[in-house]
Amino acid sequence: MADEVPRSWRDPDLLIKALPTVLLQTTCFLAPLVMTFLLTFQRSRNFQLQWSWDLWTWTDVFSKPHYWTILGHTIFMAAACVAICLIIAFPIAYGLATRFKAWENEIKVLITFAFITDATLKIYGWALFLDKNGMANYTLSSIGLPPEMVAFLYTDWATLLGMVYSLSAFAIFTLYLSISNIDRSLILAAYDAGAGKFRAHWEVTLPLCKPGIWAGSVLIFLLSVGAFLEPKVLGGGKSPMSAELIRQTFETRVNWPLGAALTLVLMVVSVFIVLLFSRLIGLKRAGLAA
Amino acid sequence: MIARLEGRLIDIVLWGSLAAILIFFYIPIFTLIAFSFQEGRFLTLPFEGISLRWYGELFRNANALNALWNSTLIAVITTVIATAIGTMAAIAAVRYRFRGSDAFRLLAGVPLAFPQLLLGIVLLLWFSVLGRMLDFSTGITTAIIGHIVYITPFAMVIVAVQVYNFDATVEDAARDCGASSFEVYRYVTIPLLWPGIFSAAIFAFLLSWGNFYLTYSLAGSTRTLPTFIFSGIAIGSSPLYPAIATVIFIPGILLVILANRLRRT
Repeated sequence: MADEVPRSWRDPDLLIKALPTVLLQTTCFLAPLVMTFLLTFQRSRNFQLQWSWDLWTWTDVFSKPHYWTILGHTIFMAAACVAICLIIAFPIAYGLATRFKAWENEIKVLITFAFITDATLKIYGWALFLDKNGMANYTLSSIGLPPEMVAFLYTDWATLLGMVYSLSAFAIFTLYLSISNIDRSLILAAYDAGAGKFRAHWEVTLPLCKPGIWAGSVLIFLLSVGAFLEPKVLGGGKSPMSAELIRQTFETRVNWPLGAALTLVLMVVSVFIVLLFSRLIGLKRAGLAA
Repeated sequence: MIARLEGRLIDIVLWGSLAAILIFFYIPIFTLIAFSFQEGRFLTLPFEGISLRWYGELFRNANALNALWNSTLIAVITTVIATAIGTMAAIAAVRYRFRGSDAFRLLAGVPLAFPQLLLGIVLLLWFSVLGRMLDFSTGITTAIIGHIVYITPFAMVIVAVQVYNFDATVEDAARDCGASSFEVYRYVTIPLLWPGIFSAAIFAFLLSWGNFYLTYSLAGSTRTLPTFIFSGIAIGSSPLYPAIATVIFIPGILLVILANRLRRT
């Protein structure tokens, strides 16, 4: 329902509506990002910031493999999180869009509430549940299974579980939107052409919800790269991920330039991976067309 | 026959996975609720007894009440400002065509895909450097600004859905009948967008109320409920914290139900 006539920025109607957002996001989002970039060219001495304008911090970042190992670990965990989220979200999103009609609203409320509840609380709940003397082990041993069967708190698996838990709702919502936008008649046409349910699903439904799969993956990937609570509380801080490294750099080492540089590296690398993948998927599509 | 069997099978798989995911989603929530009724001091099973003791402690704990007050204050201010800015941005982004509208949409939405912890850190650097120059330190105000930056895009997306389904000819009709542009907003646009605006406000409130990452970085020494709980996890906790959690859940689920009702109508 867009306007027919393009508006100029001098139009007060547009100005009133768009300007607050522009001001807010330039002063409190873009400007801080630019400043973070500038900070990386400074040095930290005796916990004090010094405006020195050199490449000292960057040499440090590129000469220590430690930072890059952590980054690699983070990217790997994020990728695993994306894959698991997509797999568990698909049946839910598909059901919501097609077969759960009678309960659609109730299901949405339950998922939304779990999603929007404070992250600290949920992660804390998991820690209590998975604890050696926690709910999970108690339940399992009370039905006769050996004690302390659930022993993966403070491992990477627990971190991954927490990340999937925190982010899978994003995949459910984006997939749900794109599946419910699919034109039903295309699937019926596939049936008429003799395709079974499985084949119609594979060749019609899945390709058509590619945008949803893609949007969900990008969101989850970018957000899980910044996971902090999960590795700290559930992973026990044993194999730190980038976010925690960055946090420590600021908090314990009070090294702002280094923290800023590590933040930028994390952001640039993750955006680069997203772009790379979107290019790869684009290429494949072009290849199929040819 | 086979087709019907197939349909049956798909139903079983779909409902089964729904049940599994709901159990998965609610495990930590019910764990916390259960532990909040624990009589004893420790968060391990078996329960020593069931009591409301920790709820009583909660209302006598000055730090917890203070955190509750701070959370609420931050959330209310954030909700009002983020919903207002987000609503206007949604109208501009969906209804108007202008130079740079793609760039505008990108700028307005990009904080959604930005990890909160990093946003918090970047803003902390910004406020620390500005603070050194202009002589202020981080506290409630900086936390509110951070929340607004992060939550406005959410509000915008929610209202944008409503704007998208909005029939602009109603506004033209009002204008043809001689309404001024203020009157058009007051009596046509805003009432029609109201369900979207209201559910955006509810989400803004919940996102801000339960926000950990931004508050953790930006609130200075001010404690809100999430940061209070986080510090509690670190020092070896008591059922006080699950009790706080349970108290937080109640308005949460009510508001989510309300938002859902509104969007359906």
